[in-house]
Amino acid sequence: MAKLIRRCLLFSLEVKRMHNGVTIQTQKLSKTFGHVHAVRNLTLEVHQGTRFGFLGPNGAGKTTTVRILSGLMQQSSGTARVCGLPLDSKRNKIKAVTGLLPETPGLYSKLSAVEFLEFIGALNDRNGDSLHNRIDRLLALLGLESRQDDLLESYSSGMKQKVLIASTLLHEPELVFLDEPTARLDPSASVIVKELIEILAQATGTTFFICTHQTSFAEDVCDQIGIINEGQLVASGSVQDLISATKVKNLEEAYLQIVGGKVDREALLTWR
Amino acid sequence: MTRKWSRIAKAEYQVSTVSFRENRTRNITILYALGLIWALFLAPYIIGIMADFIIPIEILQIILINMLPGFMRAAMFFIWILILIIPLSRSLQEIKIGQWEIFLSNNVSTRDILIGTFIGRIPLYGLLVLFITPPFLVLFFLAFEVALLGQILTYLTLFLMILTTIWLANLITAAIQAKLGESSRGKDIANGVAILLAIVSIVPIYGIMFFSQHFSVILGLNVFLLFPFTWPADVISWITIHSSQIGFSVEQILAFQQILNFDLLFSTALMSIFTIAVVGIGLASADRIFTYNIGARTEQVTTITREHFVIRGIRKLAPGSFGSLVVTCFKDFFRRASNISKIAYGIILAVVLPFIMSQIMINIGDVGGFDMMALIMVGGIGMAMIGGYTFSGTAFMESKDQLWIIQSTPSGTARYVKARLVSAFIIAIPLGFIPALVMTLLSGGTLDRFLFLVAYGYVIIAGAIMFGTGVTAWNPYYEDTKSPEHQMNVIITTMGAQFTLFAPILITMFGDMAGLPFWNMIHDAVGATGMPYAFALISMISLLIVGSLALVIGVKRLSRPEI
Repeated sequence: MAKLIRRCLLFSLEVKRMHNGVTIQTQKLSKTFGHVHAVRNLTLEVHQGTRFGFLGPNGAGKTTTVRILSGLMQQSSGTARVCGLPLDSKRNKIKAVTGLLPETPGLYSKLSAVEFLEFIGALNDRNGDSLHNRIDRLLALLGLESRQDDLLESYSSGMKQKVLIASTLLHEPELVFLDEPTARLDPSASVIVKELIEILAQATGTTFFICTHQTSFAEDVCDQIGIINEGQLVASGSVQDLISATKVKNLEEAYLQIVGGKVDREALLTWR
Repeated sequence: MTRKWSRIAKAEYQVSTVSFRENRTRNITILYALGLIWALFLAPYIIGIMADFIIPIEILQIILINMLPGFMRAAMFFIWILILIIPLSRSLQEIKIGQWEIFLSNNVSTRDILIGTFIGRIPLYGLLVLFITPPFLVLFFLAFEVALLGQILTYLTLFLMILTTIWLANLITAAIQAKLGESSRGKDIANGVAILLAIVSIVPIYGIMFFSQHFSVILGLNVFLLFPFTWPADVISWITIHSSQIGFSVEQILAFQQILNFDLLFSTALMSIFTIAVVGIGLASADRIFTYNIGARTEQVTTITREHFVIRGIRKLAPGSFGSLVVTCFKDFFRRASNISKIAYGIILAVVLPFIMSQIMINIGDVGGFDMMALIMVGGIGMAMIGGYTFSGTAFMESKDQLWIIQSTPSGTARYVKARLVSAFIIAIPLGFIPALVMTLLSGGTLDRFLFLVAYGYVIIAGAIMFGTGVTAWNPYYEDTKSPEHQMNVIITTMGAQFTLFAPILITMFGDMAGLPFWNMIHDAVGATGMPYAFALISMISLLIVGSLALVIGVKRLSRPEI
């Protein structure tokens, strides 16, 4: 046991030393599916402890980018380092120090929340009392303690999302990929998630890479923003930088100006 | 205004003929033309030649006269199963209550949905009738020289029976879907029921395949007069008899009367009353079916209580994170009704297969039913089928997102597959015992034979599980058992495992024929009595090797990042 803890600590130190403050670094990262260019020449740098908001319209390439960076998908060209580790040769090590919240819930309907989290913990080679204490505390934090032993098949989509968020944080990853984290959550749960992200980033230096459509959420939570459109990174910087550069009032307007999508009110009734 | 049912019928027709969507009308017309050519010309021609080649028509007439009532009932039973239970079983595996809710929210009545779905499916089932039924009927048409009018009446009777059955299947499916739909628990129960229905349909098919003679005799019993498939069967028998041009004697007709019990008129009346009743009940109850249980339906919250002793035992034996993974796989497996049904299916196969195989042995002249070599071959086939069917890809993953979650952990895929494998090995323990016991009892065996068969059977099941898990990891599926991937995995697993088992025997035999002394070498080493055991050992080793290879390849493929 002591050996294992020592190995984990050494690995963690090694990882911290290797990435030298930069958690994600990509160079001309591209991904094509046949003739469709999902991601084009993405060059990006995300620093440790950053809450990076990755915005873009549907089908812009956000989820594909997350899948590539979390080691689930092979890029067509380009290179990337995640937590200082080269993406092509150290996928398993990258997976050990990252957490992923997928776009849609992939839960086991026939397991309870506790059992599912125990399963995710076991996949990350954790078990025993320390894991169970952590599961209990996370579920209590997310307001699920009264339903924690019910099968997930009876959960609402928001409750499932909370379980998935807990599963993402369970092994204390250095970098967390969140794909639409608050899409199915009620306002109070969204506030808890926002606070959780902020406090984890500040207290533990955890980096968050958050894909979202919700500009208000990104404006509240993220300190850095990247906007992707048709696979290309079209803008990046702090929230304030983007608002100033586009000379608008808030991030939503900045986003609409960069990506397009201003509503033509007259066209709204033409379909009738 | 277009009637709503006709729009639904069109949509159903488009769904059922989706494979031909490029040139739907042209392709369906061609298929109907081919079907008619097959039913009216090709099938009679081919079957006529085959019958002439095998047995003179005069002798065939005598045989078929005796077989007519029982065979016709068996054939109708088979068609009934095919049309009623199989679509029912398949639709239960894919409950889509949302579609109903869209219809109902657009002010479409349940009656319109039922009529539309029914009419929309008729073209496809019509094709099925044209292609499948001629082989059942043509032999009788030829042997009894049935007049053209008789043939037309026979096909019409059959078509009426099939339409009634489709209507009944739609009605039952709608009612079950309304009851079980929406909640995932309901869907799970439906899946379980679907597999049980498949068992109900498969056991009689085995019966027809291996015990057709006895089966016909059984179906000739009076009790079957109560079953709706008997009435059209008897109507067809009577039409064949009355429109035959060979001229039955009065005594012969009286003999038929004694077997069939009811005459043509009464059987026709029963068939017609049943048809009218089924259609009437369907139309009258249609609008109530869905409103009966509107709302939560079977939604029910299941809360987990204390872990039982098997789970606690596994945790004690493997206290680390891998033990937790095995426990999770174990729980996930047993909480799905479809898996329980599959285990039931495995056990039924385990009991039925030795009986079927012993019947085959008797049919091919081995009066005792079994010798040791036959036991090994029969046991091997049965065990590979049980292991392959029960475990190949059973609820491997519910969605692709689940795979993403597992893949996002370090070496997660390999550890997950290993854990699934270990849990399957544990679950398979009783499945190894039951067929061994049945085979030992059938062969009048001793304790040492029983122990050998248990060990042999379990290793074969374990090998088939490894092979099946490897195949599923190579070609994963994320839907329930209806998906083509699942069906392909089951076929590859069962066929592959069975072929692997017999490959060493075949290699030895062909080697012997080619002058390579494999057979003699083994014989010299183990003697005549040791031969079956030597082959058993070689078969086990070969299946374990192939299973391990399939597993390694499957896991490697499943673990690699998506390209």
